[in-house]
Amino acid sequence: MSVGVADNRLKVAVVGCGGIANEHLPYLASSPLAHLVGVCDTSRATAMFAQARFGADGFFLDAQEMLQSTQPDVVHVLTPPQSHGALVLMCLKAGAHVICEKPMTASVSETAELLALAKTCGKWLIESRNLLFNDNVIKINGLVEDGTLGEIREVDLLLSLDLNAGPFGDLNLEGPGVQLPGGAVQDFLPHLAYLFLHFAGAATSAGRVCGILENLSGNGRVGFDHLDALVLSDNCRGRLRISSDLKPDMFRLIVRGSKGIAESDFYNPYLRVQLSEDSGKWAPFEQVRAGYRLARSGFGNLRDKVLQHGTYHGMPRMLDAIYKALASGGSSPIAASDIEATAALVDALVALRSTR
Amino acid sequence: MRVLVTGASGFLGKAVVRAAAAAGHRVVALVRPTADVSNLGWPDNVEVIKGDLRQMGAWRDHLDVDLVIHLAAAPSGDIATQFAGTVQATENLLDSLPLRSLRRFIHISSFSVYDYSIRPKHGIIDEATALESQPQARDAYTITKMLQESLVIDRCDDTGLECVIIRPGAIYGPGKDWDCGTALSFKSFDLLFGPLGAFRLTYVDNCADAIVRAIDADVGKARVFNIVDDECPSLWKYHNACRRAGARAGFVIPVPWLLIAALGRMVRLVNRLAFRNRAKLPELIEYRRQQARWRPLRYSNALARNVLGWTPSVKLAEGVARTVVKKADSAG
Repeated sequence: MSVGVADNRLKVAVVGCGGIANEHLPYLASSPLAHLVGVCDTSRATAMFAQARFGADGFFLDAQEMLQSTQPDVVHVLTPPQSHGALVLMCLKAGAHVICEKPMTASVSETAELLALAKTCGKWLIESRNLLFNDNVIKINGLVEDGTLGEIREVDLLLSLDLNAGPFGDLNLEGPGVQLPGGAVQDFLPHLAYLFLHFAGAATSAGRVCGILENLSGNGRVGFDHLDALVLSDNCRGRLRISSDLKPDMFRLIVRGSKGIAESDFYNPYLRVQLSEDSGKWAPFEQVRAGYRLARSGFGNLRDKVLQHGTYHGMPRMLDAIYKALASGGSSPIAASDIEATAALVDALVALRSTR
Repeated sequence: MRVLVTGASGFLGKAVVRAAAAAGHRVVALVRPTADVSNLGWPDNVEVIKGDLRQMGAWRDHLDVDLVIHLAAAPSGDIATQFAGTVQATENLLDSLPLRSLRRFIHISSFSVYDYSIRPKHGIIDEATALESQPQARDAYTITKMLQESLVIDRCDDTGLECVIIRPGAIYGPGKDWDCGTALSFKSFDLLFGPLGAFRLTYVDNCADAIVRAIDADVGKARVFNIVDDECPSLWKYHNACRRAGARAGFVIPVPWLLIAALGRMVRLVNRLAFRNRAKLPELIEYRRQQARWRPLRYSNALARNVLGWTPSVKLAEGVARTVVKKADSAG
């Protein structure tokens, strides 16, 4: 399909058609704001499959060739993290806005350099933070904004997921599972960091960080598989934990404020809100109410599983917000300063790594 | 002949290596690095290479072979996992092989590539049966096996390499009994869906024998061979055979295909009207997947018998007995 004169959709290209591309491409294939002009992967079969499945105009094996051939307005960089830096640079220099999967780089200094280059080029460079757009995060945002939870004092993010079981720890493969200083933990860390910073409110710097980042399993490919850290910023504190040796899998978000607590989970979502007035003699009633809501969440999760409304359901919402802003000339829904702050917190957490 | 067998430590791969070595071929067995091959009892003319086709690695230094039997695939996991282990792995293999100097490429495909929503001629699935037109409506296995097969055919056609596609039915044997044909178990009750329909079984050694025969058979213009044993018992008969052989099978509750199909059609209608076909449902109630598994059909192995000169030597009773004994040994 060619872009006609009347077609004012943004021309979009995708580099990297692996696992995470399956979360970006459905939106790009269906959005009235985007026209998928090309997909690129080093694997011909992968690129061809993505092209056929999502209706891209063409497929490419070389990113530079795709940029020259399609001249996209926006490029999604969805390759393994170690290749992000060079690809982002290439796309910005080609005059495209860039949406990059997390982690965008291995360090805050590289992130800052790329953000500075994007600013010089007059282009957007956005690191994905899809979990901010999930249903329950949006609901908790509402509770924070309308003051229901009061001043936010603590934000805990507790992820239990066996990083050794997936491709990062697959001992059939050679080399490191992911080429990042913080190993597999660092691949997930941006999620925890941006969620913490988001709910910590004004705290856009990491503050003090203490804890441990280590390899508990002994699996060399995974790099690091366990993080347990406390983050102390000016007005807010939090525990960020990634564990590979706990079951069941969960990814819990707990936001505690001066007036109440909100708790959710990204894998099996529910929302529990306990307010200060729910204490004392009212506590049992709150528990009954919470039990009823938990049961309703169970039915909701069953429906969500059938309808494939999974952990990544915030992704199309995030992309839609970005594309609407781009199309209308508005400001980016994800600020460069937030991306840099996230990278700084990730850096501080990775610095906790042990040499064991 | 020097034969490379990929996926050699898998359920079928182990039997193929044994059969190829027994037929006098020098076998290069490519196994995953974590595979334990110490107890497989392979003879000395089997050279074991460790490597993973998902990644270009040292396995590429061992491709001076005459023929390839490609079994490697990822039969489970999400679409990304199966795509990497089945399609990308095959692409890496094809990119690395000296295709123009090979005598033949034997690709092990699957019955899952057929379209079970259309009733085939005379109700018989054979090599001329149409391929699945909507693999995305089935599952990741069907999608990736179809992509894999077409990748192999295209690449072989491009390079003029003779390609033989083997499509085995449900392979059973020690270590894999298909739950005695049971769709669902509740305590001591086994639900058999479409209990009178033929189960497209092939015993693992029979299937391996067919594959090894494809190494040097004169296949003429034939390219695709379906492999099922002569005796495709009904699911109920297979369940009974397992029970007689000593398997811990439950009391049978037969659920007729018409009932299963009615449920599947109803669910499909609800999905279409209420969820615009967005609902992803389990195989038990998703009509297109029900058809692929339980629709009563018959299966032909005539082409394999006639062209490959293959005769399945292990009969059902013996195959089931070997399967159940092995399971009992493992449990004990």
